[in-house]
Amino acid sequence: MSGRERVGISEFRVARAPVVLVTYGLGSCLGIALYDPDSRLGGLAHTLLPRSRPDIVETRQTKFVDRSIHLMVEELLRLGGEKERITARIVGGANMFEPLHGSATVGIGERNAQTARLTLQSLGIELLAEDVGGAHGRTVEFDLASGDVRVRTVSRPASDLVL
Amino acid sequence: MTFTRLNDRQLDALKEISNIGMGHAATALSQLIGETVHLRVPKVTVTDIARVPDLLGGAEKVVAGITLRILGDARGDILLIFPRDSARLLLSRLLGQAGTGAEMDEMGASTLKEVGNILASAYLSALGSLLHMTLIPSIPMLAHDMAGAVVDYVLIELSMRGDMALMVETEFHGDNPREEAIKGHFFLLPDHRSLDIILDAVGGGA
Repeated sequence: MSGRERVGISEFRVARAPVVLVTYGLGSCLGIALYDPDSRLGGLAHTLLPRSRPDIVETRQTKFVDRSIHLMVEELLRLGGEKERITARIVGGANMFEPLHGSATVGIGERNAQTARLTLQSLGIELLAEDVGGAHGRTVEFDLASGDVRVRTVSRPASDLVL
Repeated sequence: MTFTRLNDRQLDALKEISNIGMGHAATALSQLIGETVHLRVPKVTVTDIARVPDLLGGAEKVVAGITLRILGDARGDILLIFPRDSARLLLSRLLGQAGTGAEMDEMGASTLKEVGNILASAYLSALGSLLHMTLIPSIPMLAHDMAGAVVDYVLIELSMRGDMALMVETEFHGDNPREEAIKGHFFLLPDHRSLDIILDAVGGGA
C-alpha cells in the first residue's frame, strides 16, 4: 500500500497526511504517537528504554522515551506544527512474560509508559489516550489523515482498537 | 569487546561451540518426539537490534517463543522460537490426542516450557563442559504472540549497553515423512560482557 511508512525499533518518523505510520510488534517497547490535527502532521516513535543516561551518550538517542518525545516535538515544530495543538497517545509497555526474579527488565514496560506520561506533562502536551500494559504484543497504525491510532493484537485480530 | 570487532576465528569458534551445544539439544529433542532432528549449520549474526525481529521472520509473525536467561559464569539469553504450526505439531506429538488444540491451554504452555528447559539445559551443559564453566538456565518463560513483542525484552536488555546484538542461530527440523516437519529456531544472545568470557574460554580472545 502506498503512503505507509514503517517505523523500526529505536526509530521515529514524522510525516504529513496522507501518510500512515506503522510500527510492528510492540511488547515492552512503547509506541508514542504525536499529532497536530490542524496541520495534519504526526510522529510515531518505537522506543525501548525510559530515559537517556549521561553515561551512554554514544548510543542512539531515539531508543529512549524521553529523548524521542523531545526530538519528535522539535521536528513537528520545524515542519510547521504548533505546540499548543499537539496531542499524544501511547501504546505498548506490556509485560510479555511473568516477572523474572532479578532481571533488570522487570516492569520496564510500565516504566516506559510512566516516563512518557511525565515527559509529556513537562512539555504541556495532553495525553489523549493510552493502551498500555497487559501481556500481549501490539501493532500500531497511525493514519495522519484522520488522526486515528489503530492498535492490532493477536488475540483480537478482527477488531482493531482505535485510540 | 564490541560485537562488531569479532574476527573470523572468533566467529568460527562461536559457531563451533553452538553446533556442539545444539547437537546435544537436538538429541534430547529427537528422543522426546521419536524422530531424527536435523540441524542446519549455525549462523552468527552481528546486527543492529532494530533488525532482529526481521531475522526472526518478521515482527508481526505469530510464534511460540520460549525464553530463558543464562545464569552462572556467563550471562545472556536463550530464545527458542517455533512458528505457530510447528508449536501445534510439537504438542500433538508430545501429548497425543490431548495435544490437539492445547496450544493456548495450561498443559500446552507447560509442555512447551518444558521443551525449552530440556533443550536449553542440554545446550548449556554441553557448552559449560566445553568451556569449563557453570551455565544454568533460568526458569523458562513462554509467550504466544508477535515475534517482535516476544523478543523485545531481550533487545531492551541489550540496548542498555549498545545498539547491536550478536545472535547465534541454529535452525532445526524433524523428519517425520508422514507429517509436516516441526521447525524451530534456537538463538543464543550473549550479553556484551559475557562474549569476552566465552571467547576467552574458547581460546579465541582478542
